Amino acid sequence: MTATLRNLLSGTLVAALAAGCSSNVTLDPPTIPEPLIVKIPMSVALRLPENFESFEHEEKVLGRDVWKIDLGRSNAVFFEQLFGYMFEDVIIIDAEEFAGGAAQPAFDALIEPSIDAFEFAVPVQTKTDAFAVWIRYRLKIFDRDGDLVANWPVSAYGKSLTTTLGGSDALQRAAVLAMRDAAALMIMKFDDHALIASLADPGSTTAVEDDERAETTAQAVANPGVSDE
Amino acid sequence: MNELTPRATAGRAIFATALLTLAAGCVTSRVENSREGLTGIGKGETVVIMAKSYHLGNETEAKYITCIENALGRGAQGLRVIPRKQFIDSLFPWFEPRTAPSETKSLPKLMERPGVAARIREQGVRYIVWLDGDTEKVAGGGSLSCAAGPGGGGCFGFAWWQNASDYNAAVWDLDGLESAGTVSADVSGTSFLPALVVPIPLIARTQATACKGLANQLRAFIVSDEFS
Repeated sequence: MTATLRNLLSGTLVAALAAGCSSNVTLDPPTIPEPLIVKIPMSVALRLPENFESFEHEEKVLGRDVWKIDLGRSNAVFFEQLFGYMFEDVIIIDAEEFAGGAAQPAFDALIEPSIDAFEFAVPVQTKTDAFAVWIRYRLKIFDRDGDLVANWPVSAYGKSLTTTLGGSDALQRAAVLAMRDAAALMIMKFDDHALIASLADPGSTTAVEDDERAETTAQAVANPGVSDE
Repeated sequence: MNELTPRATAGRAIFATALLTLAAGCVTSRVENSREGLTGIGKGETVVIMAKSYHLGNETEAKYITCIENALGRGAQGLRVIPRKQFIDSLFPWFEPRTAPSETKSLPKLMERPGVAARIREQGVRYIVWLDGDTEKVAGGGSLSCAAGPGGGGCFGFAWWQNASDYNAAVWDLDGLESAGTVSADVSGTSFLPALVVPIPLIARTQATACKGLANQLRAFIVSDEFS
């Protein structure tokens, strides 16, 4: 009897040691500050994938513990906020309703973000006190006829040290920083990659382009030899 | 001859232990500055302490930046310091790790962006101080082991480690959109942990010394308008 009890106890102890630890982190939807930019005068439709409403990711550190992060609907909130700040008018489209032949709302462009990859590293892996998060979003931009005009991968990175925040808080902070990094990149490079200006209302775009072209020509005539960077 | 009572002996032992605990390890410190332009700060003008981007490999600890912010703002001669998070959020996304200017020649273009110059003016920001550097353990050794049993426990042995806190602060003057100079602090120190039943830590607080030294020098650098 005593031997059985001892075996049971030692078995439990070995199993507990072998199992390691598991850490679960839940991210509250982030709030990004209102950017200091001029809104793009366009109406865009935003179609969010289902996994933006509930996104989880798990990393197993070899021979150590398991880290799981639950982003909840952080991605949905993030894109709704960001495009709300970037464009004059944003319509959120329900993916199923749109596919089911419902009346299509009027817009200049349809943007469909998705997540290509989500990874993170914990201090044991980075060999520092830092948690690091990498997110690769993909933005597909369609014109009003539904033709794909741009397919842009957006790679973002966030890093946070553990010393003052503790493990869970540091991972959350790194994820929020990665989202802010993605926001900064999209704000800076949106038109270069998404060719969004070409999808604006043709009449107004042409007028703006004509004005800019005229101005550039006038400057070139006034300052020969000075080129725009 | 006076004999000590057991109570007095215990009191002396506690006092000696406390003294040893409070005694710091050996620290050497060097703080220098290099001036490129005249400085000075007016009433209502403020300073922001920022960390260089981690996209550039910098790993300055948030704790160190907060220490510099607090030390610069403290006392009768304290400067007005805008919390960096407030500054970064108010200028989003232009001071994010990816987008923040890495040299002063990017400042004119940044100031031309819509709302940026006005937002900086609203907060009265005259100087941005960019910190880079970190505290690292550079060496260590010794051996220490602890054991506990039903009758009690204790540690025996001796351990030591050496930390180096090297920080650099680049001061940008937003009045002239130019660099005003740099201040640096290099502090190294060795901590000891002897243990004879009870471990007695003799900690060299290199990061705290680097914070105090850099903050004092930064304040003098910004307030003074003399070349040194």
